Amino acid sequence: MIEVEKVGKQFQGVEALKDVSLSVHRGSIYGLVGSNGAGKTTLLKLLAGIYRQNSGNITIDSQPVFENDEIKARTFFIPDFLYYFPNFSIQDMAHFYTRIYPQWNQARFEKLGGVFNIEVKRRIKTLSKGMRRQVSFWLGLALMPDVMILDEPIDGLDPVMRQKVKNLIIQDVAEREMTVMISSHNLRDLEDICDYIGILHQGKMLIQKDLDDLKADVHKIQVAFSGEIPPALLQDMQTLYQEKRGSVLILIVRGVHEDIIRRVQSYQPAILDILPLTLEEIFIYEMGDNGYEIKNVLY
Amino acid sequence: MFELDLRSRAPVYEQLVEKIKELIINNVLKPDEQLPAVRVLAIELTINPNTIQKAYRELEHRGYIYSVPGKGSFVRPAVPGNNTARLQTLEKELSRIVSEMLYLGTPPQKIITRVKTQLSKDEGGKMDD
Repeated sequence: MIEVEKVGKQFQGVEALKDVSLSVHRGSIYGLVGSNGAGKTTLLKLLAGIYRQNSGNITIDSQPVFENDEIKARTFFIPDFLYYFPNFSIQDMAHFYTRIYPQWNQARFEKLGGVFNIEVKRRIKTLSKGMRRQVSFWLGLALMPDVMILDEPIDGLDPVMRQKVKNLIIQDVAEREMTVMISSHNLRDLEDICDYIGILHQGKMLIQKDLDDLKADVHKIQVAFSGEIPPALLQDMQTLYQEKRGSVLILIVRGVHEDIIRRVQSYQPAILDILPLTLEEIFIYEMGDNGYEIKNVLY
Repeated sequence: MFELDLRSRAPVYEQLVEKIKELIINNVLKPDEQLPAVRVLAIELTINPNTIQKAYRELEHRGYIYSVPGKGSFVRPAVPGNNTARLQTLEKELSRIVSEMLYLGTPPQKIITRVKTQLSKDEGGKMDD
């Protein structure tokens, strides 16, 4: 269980994180999304015990993580820029890990070799970007971590490998209740495996919610009226976004599905369509609501 | 067992609920048959186990399945009559389809015949309800 309590972090006067709190339950996959420079990597490095926070508490299983060997031995962090020792082969790296990670599982390492299909004697620096990523997952899954922290992990993997890696993560989550914290820009990649989503923006946590609740909470509606649009309609709802296209009004609304339908119906629209949003759309509209907009790019 | 559409806008757990419901209604999953374990299904579909757990809870809540602690989830034999909300939406759907068909010029008699054929087909299979 990961607990982050009112954490703040500054770098030479730049406030990277302000008052961020979150908790990730055992066996859960938490997806962290955010605008560029929102503080995702900073937060993940704090969780991995690499940075020390300026304020607040970060604990994994009720123990502070910074410089805590016992916690670090059970945590695996894949950073956005991978680092391996110069001239090390995959085998050398695996050997190195056996000494720092007590839960290292050699049989699993060998078995995973069949999945990744890269010669273990190859030097890592001779591998391509995507293959180095694969090596990080290969090693990471072999050391049987209780907590996995992944910074933009899917980057550089081909579609087949992506699916394989996701499946391997799900296996560990399902069978050993591994806890995963994952950041990504590719929101589609998060949609199927995460159960919890947090949106960071300018160092602050905007929303965090169960992914399905998040989706059930925001809707896109298209309404058209035979006459004028009743002005009371717009005041009646919590709209994140509105757009008029010809005689059709498009609204992004927060609220419960049935409730929205009931309210709009009371104005007797000629057409009413209601759609759940994709995570990508939720991200864009929530950001727009917080002054981070794209105009006329989407739709 | 089934495929989910990850590109779809509908939440994954809702899709799961619908798929399983469909399998139960169409008798592919027989009464008292055991549903796949959450872990197994999670790995098979590459879906978060918590999402599957949630779908199972929802199905149980709606009365399609029951769970036996330590054993798993099973198909509940008869679907109870507490389906008013769903029936209402289905009725609305039906009237929407009928008016659209009329608008597009289908003769009323043809719609009636179509409904009758469907009724006789379904009644052949299912005697209850």
